[in-house]
Amino acid sequence: MKNSIKNLTVFVCICTVITVLLAITNSITAPIIEKNQNASVNAALLEVMPEGKDFEEVDLTEYELPATVAEVFRETEGQGYVAKLVTAGYGSDMVVMCGVNADGVVTGAVCTASNETLGKEKTYGEGFTGKNADEVDAVDTIAGATKTTEAYKNAVKDALNTAIILGGGSVDIRTEEEILADNLNAALPEGEGSFEKWFMVEQLDSVDAVYAAENGAGYVFVTGEQFVGVKADGTVVTDGVTAPESFAGFVATIQASVLEDIDLSVYPDLEATVVSAKKTASGSYVLETKGAGYGIKGGDEYHPASNEYIRVRVSVTPDFKIIDCLTVSEAETDGLGDACADESFYGQFAGKSEADYTEIDAISGATLTTNGYIQAIERAFAAIKVLNGGAQ
Amino acid sequence: MKEKSSLSVFLNGIIKENPVLVLVLGTCPTLATTTTVNGAFGMGIAALVVLICSNIFISLFRKIIPETMRIPCYIVIIAGFVTMVKMLVQAFLPDLYATLGVYLDLITVNCIILGRAEMFASKNTVVSSALDGIGMGIGFTLALTVMATVREVLGAASFAGIAIPFMESFKIEFMTKAPGGLLVYGLLIALIHVVTHGKAPVKASFSCEGCIHSATCVSGACKREGVES
Amino acid sequence: MENFKILIIILLSSVFVDNYVLSRFLGICPFLGVSEKRDQAVGMGVAVTFVMLLATAATWPIQYYVLNTLNLGYLQNIVFILIIAVLVQILEMFLKKFSPSLHKGLGVYLPLITTNCAVLGVTINNIIDGYSFIESMVSSLGCGLGFLLAMVLFSGLRSRINDVHVPGPFKKLAATLIAASFISLAFMGFSGIVEKIFA
Repeated sequence: MKNSIKNLTVFVCICTVITVLLAITNSITAPIIEKNQNASVNAALLEVMPEGKDFEEVDLTEYELPATVAEVFRETEGQGYVAKLVTAGYGSDMVVMCGVNADGVVTGAVCTASNETLGKEKTYGEGFTGKNADEVDAVDTIAGATKTTEAYKNAVKDALNTAIILGGGSVDIRTEEEILADNLNAALPEGEGSFEKWFMVEQLDSVDAVYAAENGAGYVFVTGEQFVGVKADGTVVTDGVTAPESFAGFVATIQASVLEDIDLSVYPDLEATVVSAKKTASGSYVLETKGAGYGIKGGDEYHPASNEYIRVRVSVTPDFKIIDCLTVSEAETDGLGDACADESFYGQFAGKSEADYTEIDAISGATLTTNGYIQAIERAFAAIKVLNGGAQ
Repeated sequence: MKEKSSLSVFLNGIIKENPVLVLVLGTCPTLATTTTVNGAFGMGIAALVVLICSNIFISLFRKIIPETMRIPCYIVIIAGFVTMVKMLVQAFLPDLYATLGVYLDLITVNCIILGRAEMFASKNTVVSSALDGIGMGIGFTLALTVMATVREVLGAASFAGIAIPFMESFKIEFMTKAPGGLLVYGLLIALIHVVTHGKAPVKASFSCEGCIHSATCVSGACKREGVES
Repeated sequence: MENFKILIIILLSSVFVDNYVLSRFLGICPFLGVSEKRDQAVGMGVAVTFVMLLATAATWPIQYYVLNTLNLGYLQNIVFILIIAVLVQILEMFLKKFSPSLHKGLGVYLPLITTNCAVLGVTINNIIDGYSFIESMVSSLGCGLGFLLAMVLFSGLRSRINDVHVPGPFKKLAATLIAASFISLAFMGFSGIVEKIFA
């Protein structure tokens, strides 16, 4: 017993001596370490705001900022702000430091960490220097990295908005999806906030898009900038609509639209190119066709042994006008060709006719995908001619 | 115990009982920090400093430290010096700190240091313990640097961060990754075997003697269960 | 749901992608030393997993509620290693007294674990990575399972190596290390997979 007390005492003494030594070392090194860390943070901040003198971190808890904003530093002499933004690019997160001066102009942007595939984002930020909020969109994209570019631009925009908010102003920080959701909800509150885009199988005059309430309460028609809510019984909810009766008619058309399946086995020629075909009461066709994707070498020949095609759903009037278009599935390269599944791409085809459907903006860096997509539409036109009984 | 000559104590660690290549101790940092020469050299020096300090300290108090409590005492002393070295590196060599990261902390459980405390410092004078620490530390640093040189030159076509121009097109990136570490280590051990005509690595098999845990293996687990090969 | 996804990603990446033995080189010593026979490999792996979980459960609260509040962050290393050593001791005594059969199976590996850098490594890494308590526990479980997996796989490979003729200089150690290199190479194939599971 006496021995173990002695042993323990020795142990405690050693612990104490070591702890004292550590405390001394810590008191010497801690200020240096803190200075080093501050210096390295400051160096990173100076890179995007070369004019800055000293920076202090802003407490963000009292502000409502874009979701990408991780940290904000204020230049102590009021020259502006530097925001650290964490965005979701392709593959993984990208960290962008962006400085904004008091006039709302970008003083510098730099990507400090990313696992992106290309690595061009390292220098991409240079292009934003000296740009204001209106000029950001015009900055050249990185060829072949649409998503990275988009994420980068959004990050810079978020930094500009952050500077406005911290400066006491107010900005709409909602994302495009949130704005759409808010508009839809405002147009038809009965939809309880959950809407689904309706694939237009019938031509509706001057209507750009239709959203159906998932609970069946009604529809929201988008015409230009206007959102018109119509209940399922045809009552127009939105005020100030010029021709409410036409929207009631649209609802009737939608509800009456019956799709009749066409038996493709009668048309062996179409087997390789058409997945399914339907006909509406008014004579429009709804087709799902295949286009050769990048996975198929050559780009313009459909290879029956490969599954890697682009599948497109397209509705076409009897006089060969495209009513609506949608990408059903694709297996294109992530970050490049897979942009063909974005509405910003396939939405371009709606309203085009057989004469001008090729006049669309190609996906940058993915020519073969774009060609394959156009091929799918071309095949839809060809198929309709066959279905109509004409020559292919 | 008979005192050996200072020179032989010192050289022992560098050549005859090189901790990495002959005793096969401290394998974790050997593999993990040898992707760059700078990192490996820094790791070696950090371990060297800890080794010297802990050897001196333990040897100084070897008569006071109670037999039954010796392992916890050693661990506290070693962990203390490791933390001190870590703080100093963080303050004065921030780049090295960023490279080594958690492996600096893990010097605490580097078997070389605990092993030398148990096998040497606890039985020898302060002077020879210090010499032993220096020798072992230099041996460790040398082995790490050699391994890192092979890996960095072949894997990253550079030496200590300086690019070697004509190697650029012959990079074997795999060398700087985890499998490359194990491969180079295996080949180096085989090379030592050839050079010494098979004498050195006799000790290097995973016997209780070479086992890192021999210091802490209080219950003689290996012997009882025949863990050794 | 989102939290659950994060936990799954932490678990899978610590088992496969950031395998402690094969890609971070922590716990190499027992990996090479105790992987001769499958039974021993399993025993060691289970014991390490158990101690990792126990150690994390003890060190995480101490780091956040004691060291951080008292501003004693610099004692982390000493405190953690002592906690691990004490835990291992207590566990061994506990097993000896209450479950002699389990002690026979795991007990012999316990003293070897105190200086296993994987255990200290996982507790420190959990703090460095800023994991919450639950995330830390999951990450420790993953690291332990990853260690177990590597041990079991490697013990199978070693029994094959022992059966074949190996050129003189490569006998035992060198051949073992090179074999470990190949397993590690195989595990490199997992990199990039886990992040994509929910993508």
